[in-house]
Order: sequence, then structure tokens, then C-alpha cells
Amino acid sequence: MTGLLDDLATRLGPPALAAAQALLAEVAADRDRLPVVFPGLPRRIGRDALPGGRAPLGPGEVDLGAFRRCDLAAAWLLHAVAATPDERLDLYAHGDIEERAMLLRTLPLLPLDPVVVPLFAEVQRTNVLLHFEAALCDSDLFARTADAGLLDQTAANRLLLKLAFLDLPLRRVLAAERHANVELSRMLIDLATEREAAGRAVWRDTCRLLGRAPCPGAAARLLGGLEHGDDGVRLAAAEGLLALARADLRPFAAERLPREPRAEVRAALQRLLG
Amino acid sequence: MPIFEPHIHMFSRITDDYERLALAGVRAVLEPAFWLGQPRTSVGTFVDYFETLIGWERFRAQQFGIHHFCTMGLNPREANDDRVNRDVMAILPRYCEKDSCLGVGEIGLDDQTAAEERFFAEQLDLARRHGLPVLVHTPHRDKKRGFERCIAIVRDSGFPMERVLLDHGNEETIKLTRDLGCWSGFSIYPHTKMDPARMTSIVLEYGVERMVVNSAADWGVSDPLMVPRTVVKLEQAGIARERIEQLVWRNPIDFFAQSGRLQAAMLLQPARANLRETFDGNSVLRGQDPDRA
Repeated sequence: MTGLLDDLATRLGPPALAAAQALLAEVAADRDRLPVVFPGLPRRIGRDALPGGRAPLGPGEVDLGAFRRCDLAAAWLLHAVAATPDERLDLYAHGDIEERAMLLRTLPLLPLDPVVVPLFAEVQRTNVLLHFEAALCDSDLFARTADAGLLDQTAANRLLLKLAFLDLPLRRVLAAERHANVELSRMLIDLATEREAAGRAVWRDTCRLLGRAPCPGAAARLLGGLEHGDDGVRLAAAEGLLALARADLRPFAAERLPREPRAEVRAALQRLLG
Repeated sequence: MPIFEPHIHMFSRITDDYERLALAGVRAVLEPAFWLGQPRTSVGTFVDYFETLIGWERFRAQQFGIHHFCTMGLNPREANDDRVNRDVMAILPRYCEKDSCLGVGEIGLDDQTAAEERFFAEQLDLARRHGLPVLVHTPHRDKKRGFERCIAIVRDSGFPMERVLLDHGNEETIKLTRDLGCWSGFSIYPHTKMDPARMTSIVLEYGVERMVVNSAADWGVSDPLMVPRTVVKLEQAGIARERIEQLVWRNPIDFFAQSGRLQAAMLLQPARANLRETFDGNSVLRGQDPDRA
């Protein structure tokens, strides 16, 4: 516990830490002050984004650039007072949009707790982009929660399908690809077909997951992706084929390679051709 | 001319009103917590109402480019109701710390009962603890005496006058308040309280220092465009544009900036409208294309 507090304190910096310590004293003296001091954290600590990119922090890995100083202070405070799951759920339930985002941003910084599960369900239900991003993106929380068995495959698949539905990049959910599965691939292909029928764009990362857990139709989607007009889709298709590792599909990659204008897609095709 | 509407109950208004307000130049609204037309019977309904003020209502306003703020408080009418008054006081501190809460209000007097006075004084203390100014509802009946009583309670509490906005004023009350150092609010109604022509006379006689005008539009016969209508009347009366802008823009900002949670720079641009977004899964759209609505 002390290690995490120290780590968060170091990243907070002395002025923010001093402000957070004053709030901690207030809550320590009167536990009922927690829901009163929590909304004021952005005003008192600051909303500035943290420097730095991906880094281990607390129990997992996060993309620090997506976190604000007040998010770290919120995690520090909740950890220091050993906030109960009920207290954390109460802060979410009665928070405004920013407080809810802040509470969600604390989840990947704190030890994994079953409270994550109802909060994941909430952000999926409410469809608030900011909250979905705060809960799922820029950390490996989703992957750790699924690894720990707190999320069953159905719940995990629904969250990743929502990610696709919201057109958020797969790479923002760190390590999510290791939870690819055949049922998820089927769901993604159905979504892609529905989008195409409506004349709408398909989630660019569809092929990345299809290649890791192919369902019927996946190989055709991946090969079709190689000829797509969108650079991102072609790159995802090439990476999907790389993950699929089917020797019988390599001739299609070989055929595409001399016509492929984008260097990063060519590089993926070359890796595929070995 | 941008307008800050410092007292309007959008909870009671239809979505079209937001569009009309935006088209008339209203860039920000402040919604004081008040009663809901009939008594509430449990604190839970206050929780839901307060959370609407910081949640859905704020989102709804933003969809039309309008910044939405609020004040939180136990209104004087329900201060008389022992089913809810104490419990509401107990939950208010957490709502007073919400970012969009710029004051404590509407507090004050209505029927001028002992219970109203007690909770008014308690909420002055609440405002002091949270560093917030107060928006004071004054009685519609026996108004002059009610104003005097409100002023006496503020004085007794030692609450700084410059952080007090005494609302629903008229030609009589401005004589009481102009030299106190507090702020004076005038609610412009279609038929009662105050109208644009009378407000023009007040401005011509007393100027615009520490004054704000509002529509106080709510569930009854009222008009959310009363501030823009008053602007037109003031212009027609030859009052300098700069003074009108002080009345309807800079003054309400200066008053509520005392909360430490509002800066004029925050309002330079309209609120960000993104019709693709939802609040708790809900949108203001009803089947329209969000990119064309």
C-alpha cells in the first residue's frame, strides 16, 4: 500500500501532494467529508495533463498522457483512506460528468477490485464517450480484469464490441488483443456487415481481432481488407493475416505487396511473407 | 451582445426555449435550486433534482451552445416542511462543492416564518463554509418588510454584503438595497414583479452598479426571453451599450465569479455542442441526424 501511495505521490509533485494531504486530513477527521472534498479535487489539484507516455504505475500499465493531475490525486486520496467499494460507487453515482470520469480514471491506478465490474457495466450502458474512455482506455485495466476472471467472456466481448461501436482505437485498450475469441470475431463481423449495409464505415481494428480468433468469414474479410481504400484498414488486415499465420493466404499478400503505397503496410506484408 | 441569464428554472422549460435563448444571445444561464410546483415528500427527490441540475440540464444546455450553472439550496417554501428540511440540509454540502455550483440559493424568505429564518441563517453559514455567494429569494407578499428582514438576517450573520444578491426587487426595494453594498436582482415578468419599461426607469434613475436582471422563468406564465427583451427596451431608451452589457453580462459574471469557480474567459466561446454525445444514454435528439440537426 505504501509503495503505491509513494509512487502516486512522486508523480503528483509537492504542491499537489500538499493539497491532497490537507484533504486527507479532513476526511480522516470526518469520514463524511469524502463526498464533499472529492468534487473539488480538479479545482484544488489542477486539471493539467501528466507528462509521459506508457509506463507501469500501480498494479498495471497506463498511458500517463491520458491522465490529469487530479485523477492521480483522486487515486491517492481513495487509496490513503482505504475507500470502500460502496463509497467509490457512491462517488460515481452522485458525481457530475467530470467527477465520474475522475473516479473511473482511478480504477487502473488502484489494486484490482470487483467494483470495476459494475462500473464497466455502467459505462457500457450510459454510452458517455468520456466515461467509456476513462474506464477502458489508456490502461491495461480491461485485460487485467478479464485475466483475473472478474469479467466473463460475454461481458468482456460486449465491452470490446462497444469499443468498436464507438470507433475507438483498439491500441488504447492495452493488451486487449489477448482477449480475442471466436465469438467476439463473429460479433465484429456482424457489426461490420450491418455498417456496410447502412453505407457506414467499419471499425478499422476489426481485422486485427479477426486474425487472432478467426470465425467463419474471417479470412475473406482479411483478404478483402488488403484491397481497402483506407490505409488503416489495410494495415489492420495485414496485421490480422500475420496473426492468422495461414500459409495458404500468403500468395494474396505477395500479390498486394508491389501495389501497396504505404510503407508501414508494406512492412507488415513483408513480415507476413517472412 | 452576450447575455448571462442569472436566474432561470430551465428544469421547467422545453428544449425549444434553449434554442430561442441561444438565438437571442444568451450564452450562459444560472439555474437556482427551487421548489418544483408542489411539495416534495422525501429527500430522495431533492437528490434527483440536484443531480439533474449538475447533470442532464447542464448537458441539455450545452447541446445548444449555452453554459449552464446552478446554485444549490433549500428553498424557503420547503424550509417550512419538516418532512424534508433537515435531510436536505444534510445532503447540501456535497452538492455545494460541484464545479458548476456557483452559489447557495435560492434561500431567503417567502412566508416569513420562523423556520424560513432559521434555515436562511443556516444556509448563510453553509455558503460561508464553501466560499460561495448567496442568491436570496425575497417574498412576493409583504415584500418591503421581507426585504428588510432578509437584510437584517444577513447583517446578524456577519455574511459579507458584497456576496449577497437580493432577488425579485422592485422600485421600492432598490431604495433599501442601493447603499448596502449587496447586489440587486430584478425578475422581469410578462405581467407581474417587474417589466422591461419599469426596469428601464430604474436603470435611468439608479444606474447599473451591482444590479442584474433575470427572467426567473419557471413553471408558471413567464418568458425566458425577458432579459433580451429588456435589452431592447434599454437600447431604445438611449442607454449606452456598454452599460447594458455591464447589466446583462459583466455584472452577473462578477457576482458569481466570487465563487472562485467562474472566470469570464470560460464564457468567451459558446458551450461545446456535440449532438453525437449522450448523457446517461440520453440525447436531446429524436431521430434527427446529429451532424445536421
